[in-house]
Amino acid sequence: MLPSPREEELFLRQMVAFAGQLRAAGVEVGTAELLDCLQALQHLSLARRDHFKGALGATLAKSARNREIFDLLFERFFDPLQAREQQTKRLEQQEKLIKQLEEAGEALQFKGEPLQLSDDEKIWYASLPEEGKAGLQRFLKATEEGKKVEASFRPLLETVVRGQLRYWRSRADAPAGEGGAGSKLGAPGLRHLDLKDIREADLPAVEELIARLARQVSSQLVRRQRRLSGAGAVDFRRTLRHNLQFGGCLFKIKYRRKQPRRQQLLFLGDVSASMSRYSTMILQFIYGLQTSVKNLELFVFSDNLEHLTPRLRQGGDPGQIVEQLVRRSKTWGGGTNIASALSTLAGEYASLLNMRTTIIVVSDTRTVTLARALEALDRVKTRVKRILWLNPLPFSEWSCYASVKAFAQRVEMWPCHTLAQLEKIVAGRLLQKNVSGKEVGNEQAYCPGR
Amino acid sequence: MEQLRRGFARVGYICEENTVLTVYLALVLQKPLLVEGAPGVGKTELGKALAQVLNTELIRLQCYEGLDETKALYEWNYQRQLLRLQIDRSAEVEVAEEDLFSPRYLLERPLLKAIRSDKRPVLLIDEVDKCDPEFEAFLFEVLSDFQVSIPEIGTVTARTVPAVVLTSNSERELSDGLKRRCLYLYLDFPPPEEEIKIIKAKVPGVEERLAWEIARVVEYLRRQEQLRKKPSIAETLDWARALVALKHRSLDGGLVDNTLNLLLKRRQDQLYFRREIGPRGLDKVLRQGRAGGDAGAP
Repeated sequence: MLPSPREEELFLRQMVAFAGQLRAAGVEVGTAELLDCLQALQHLSLARRDHFKGALGATLAKSARNREIFDLLFERFFDPLQAREQQTKRLEQQEKLIKQLEEAGEALQFKGEPLQLSDDEKIWYASLPEEGKAGLQRFLKATEEGKKVEASFRPLLETVVRGQLRYWRSRADAPAGEGGAGSKLGAPGLRHLDLKDIREADLPAVEELIARLARQVSSQLVRRQRRLSGAGAVDFRRTLRHNLQFGGCLFKIKYRRKQPRRQQLLFLGDVSASMSRYSTMILQFIYGLQTSVKNLELFVFSDNLEHLTPRLRQGGDPGQIVEQLVRRSKTWGGGTNIASALSTLAGEYASLLNMRTTIIVVSDTRTVTLARALEALDRVKTRVKRILWLNPLPFSEWSCYASVKAFAQRVEMWPCHTLAQLEKIVAGRLLQKNVSGKEVGNEQAYCPGR
Repeated sequence: MEQLRRGFARVGYICEENTVLTVYLALVLQKPLLVEGAPGVGKTELGKALAQVLNTELIRLQCYEGLDETKALYEWNYQRQLLRLQIDRSAEVEVAEEDLFSPRYLLERPLLKAIRSDKRPVLLIDEVDKCDPEFEAFLFEVLSDFQVSIPEIGTVTARTVPAVVLTSNSERELSDGLKRRCLYLYLDFPPPEEEIKIIKAKVPGVEERLAWEIARVVEYLRRQEQLRKKPSIAETLDWARALVALKHRSLDGGLVDNTLNLLLKRRQDQLYFRREIGPRGLDKVLRQGRAGGDAGAP
């Protein structure tokens, strides 16, 4: 039986609504795709759900990443029963969340006023084991009852509470982390997850993803370098030999191929406590680019500088080596002294700095002796091609830190706390293309000095 | 669609319903089919099988870095043109320019050959992610209109729209323009029951039990997240052929260990296998499969 015009209209509206949902989730669905989809459906019986889904998938989701999003949305959109169940679950979760926030707000108070903590921190508190909660309560009570306790203690107290919450959270993350928020995420999810929120259970998948992204960026770099290198001088020997077949008539001129000038990269990763996760992962990514760069030198620093490259040359699995190296590194997890690291670099490793070198710094800029660090940066900057600074702090927080402003005035600084951002920035900047703020996650690069 | 399904079965290409459906849609909508998936899942094989099913010519364009129009579309046969000039000069005959730039002196490359075919061919554009973005842009122009312009001759329009299969290993993201013109198919590793069918279809003389054990072991290895290069279907088939040639009728952990080079082709993966799984681990997997009554378990 043919559908009535009313039914057709409804069906069309539903398809448009589904395409809208796909677009909202980041899948590029244009009118052309939608028309293809409707055309494809004309050749099939809609009674078979697998055929219906297959036709939509083939015409609307055209990459592995989009396919995963499509599968999720399809079930939700075309299976109302499941969608209702999911909505009920979501509402329950939201209610639970609100309750947790209220509980934490009431429990974490100082002199009758709630502490200034983020929602994430309050949720961590709510999910603490009882001993953890009791410990924090005892600490707050003892501080409140102490002698000469002033209101100005509040920021200090908040910092201590945040530190405690982080400690408990890292303990909770330490075992396999099964069933955690991130553990079921596929590659698309992991690409957009803040690196510090990646759970132990997801690390193998993340390492694989990093290696794949690095391979992709690396091949892009090589292609670009080859294209830029262009043709060199005329190769007379090859030209004559080739044109002998045309009776010596110079039909085709052969050129020498210019050797592509590969970039020299120097990685400088901050491995102080707050930065270690970011630096390790970004370092693995950069290490994966070694086939496309002439020289790759890797350094880590916290209170001083350590050269990792010689140990990496010993061979083996790069992911594991980097992990072991960074953990064994003498500077791992200490305080941050950018001035000392840069001065050591300029002094002891001066031969690595030249006008073909690009330095990639990964740091949140928080350092002791800021003025000295800025001076050291100025000295290094004049000796290299460029410095690219990847800052894992969310862009919205940059204006709160004088150090961020000061460094960003001197070098090119980009917010970088997910693998998707890292891929875009490294590929874009090393290819000399302009990466818009939109492309790195709706955040503009803060480069007032440029 | 039923014909297509039967056709694939006839030529020994075992695939899931979704694959048949997508190929069918590509054929009826006359759209190119973009196939993505891990290396060795049977992307190229799909193009070859389709040509066999449609009983038509397979025209293959292997993409690589630096591939350009002269190698993909057409080129003038300079040697022949020059020869003609020399002959005419010695015979003191004046040669007309249009004679020199006629189809006689045209060297057809795969794209032009596909466009000028009388019978609808299958055009397999293999590893399209390896070509340069400029060539990709040129390609999707050809694929949208199925016509090309040769300045000296004019526009050549396709007599029949070829069935186009593009494959990609996702080494780089393809342009939106190319994707928009294609239907998309993602090929994943097959489930064990499908793989058993593939092994039996492609490896003559393999016993039911051995086929099941091979599929079970390969599926287990593919589930290991730590392996950098997971065994492909092609490697599974090579392994199965080797085991049949060695006259083995069943598998055990020790045999897998001895023939591991055929299955895992990275040193680190082999070390991981020996360290974390080992022959005993695999014996356990096989025992569990049999006890659990897995699909096709002997």
